Amino acid sequence: MNALLAVARYEFRMQARKRSLWIAATLLGGALIVLQGDRGPRSLPMGTPAREVMGTWALLFAILMPLAYGMLLADRLVRDRKLRVEPLLESLPHAPATRLAGKYLGGVAACALPGLAALLLAAITELPTRHDPALIGWALVAFLVVTLPGIAMVAGFALVCPVIVSVPLFRVLFVGYWFWGNLLTPEFLPSLTGTLLTPIGDYGATWLLANDHTALFAGTPGFLPFLRPDPSAATAALSAVVVVLCGLIPLAAAALVAHRNARQTWPSKA
Amino acid sequence: MHIEIADLRRRFGRVTALDGVDLTVTGGMFGLLGTNGAGKTTLMRILAGVLPATSGRVIAGGHDLSTRAGRVAVQRRLGYLPQDLGLYPDLTPTEFLDYVGLLKGLDDRAARRRQAGELLDLVGLSDVAGRKLKGFSGGMRRRVGIAQALLGDPALLIVDEPTVGLDPEERIRFRTLLSSLADARTVLLSTHIVEDVAQTCRQTAVLAAGRVLFTGAVTDLTARAEGVTWEIVTPGPPPTDGVVVSAIARADGTHYRVVSPRPPAPDAVLVTPSLEEGYVALMRSSVPTPVG
Repeated sequence: MNALLAVARYEFRMQARKRSLWIAATLLGGALIVLQGDRGPRSLPMGTPAREVMGTWALLFAILMPLAYGMLLADRLVRDRKLRVEPLLESLPHAPATRLAGKYLGGVAACALPGLAALLLAAITELPTRHDPALIGWALVAFLVVTLPGIAMVAGFALVCPVIVSVPLFRVLFVGYWFWGNLLTPEFLPSLTGTLLTPIGDYGATWLLANDHTALFAGTPGFLPFLRPDPSAATAALSAVVVVLCGLIPLAAAALVAHRNARQTWPSKA
Repeated sequence: MHIEIADLRRRFGRVTALDGVDLTVTGGMFGLLGTNGAGKTTLMRILAGVLPATSGRVIAGGHDLSTRAGRVAVQRRLGYLPQDLGLYPDLTPTEFLDYVGLLKGLDDRAARRRQAGELLDLVGLSDVAGRKLKGFSGGMRRRVGIAQALLGDPALLIVDEPTVGLDPEERIRFRTLLSSLADARTVLLSTHIVEDVAQTCRQTAVLAAGRVLFTGAVTDLTARAEGVTWEIVTPGPPPTDGVVVSAIARADGTHYRVVSPRPPAPDAVLVTPSLEEGYVALMRSSVPTPVG
């Protein structure tokens, strides 16, 4: 347990210190604020409930900011080898799966930091005009149901996949996946957009909006209809859980491989 | 820590890195010599539990390294400085040591921090303990490496090519440090620099092409060149017979030290050999027949 917390703590510390994390988050977040258009949170009329305001903000940030997280997390596991720290880490008496899990937790926490900061900043800037202190509370709720599950899923794939397909290729594939699986209209091409599996937080945001409209495409008819239930509180929670579990799949597979390698024995005779 | 290695083999595809290594390492400082590619690093990595062997037996401190439980038991008492160790550039030496200490199971925070401070002091880095590692020179990084290896007061210290890239002063300092550490533990020093072993070890082994060519006292390895080490002073070209180990130009001509079973020149004089000459004599396949 101490080893897990140690890896998570130092992984978080190293990543939170990366200027690129903050620069990328600021640039993408800033671009989204400027280019949000008339469906964005700044266009919501006065008197709009705080949960809807913060749901809209969370969805706005979720459109592109996870791209930055995926890019940045892609080298976290392979960089131990690149930096030549790996032989030392492998000589230490902890299970490799512990290191993997620690890196995951630390990476998720580090990426969650700008995500949370962006939502809290948005809530604080809304406060003087909307005069509703509940904005802060709903910012936290929006972070938990929209932002965090997406980061958890992105982190799982971004840590493990580059070990198999190389960091640059993963980054290219990830950008392609992000637009195809989260933003492409489901009627246009078969895609995961609008399903429970979308890390963009469509179901969570739709629940927060609490009106007749879906946030993006949640539940829109299309490919894999069983993954497109009607949006509700229950399906929002289900989507958050499913998204997190999806991110744990590559992690569990990698941990299993690492565990098997670590347990490898050899015969005393050739 | 007593280490017993028997018939150890490691293959990488068609390449055989270790080919039936038998070796016994007792306490104190033990030097592992060999050319690049001799299999030293492979052996070190197996002993550190980083790499599995293909077959063979390694018992370290009573633990069988062929099992996961045995490897972990040894790793709990191990300090390892890998060849060409990298560090996290965004951490300070204090943080890096704290991190490694935590992963070594040093759970008492105060004790861990105190030990990290003492070790940074020992390797002469206390002045830069709060500076990021990304600006450190090769020598400073090696010193951080040895400091992390010493965390937890390990019974077995494995250092792989620790002096490569160090300037002469740092090399001497490093060797002295390693020697002083060997009083209370087993230190396995892998190197291709014979001088490092000559200055620090009493016991040594020589690896070549994955096999142990020699194991025993350093003095016995030096003795391999007795009767076959010559000195010649000549203004002319180097002798062609034998292996020239050193050539020093002086006013009376160039002084060549040559390892050769026969006198390489009529005026060649037999001299007392060094470990380097013993090593060269050994590496010239079969042991030369002493002359005189």
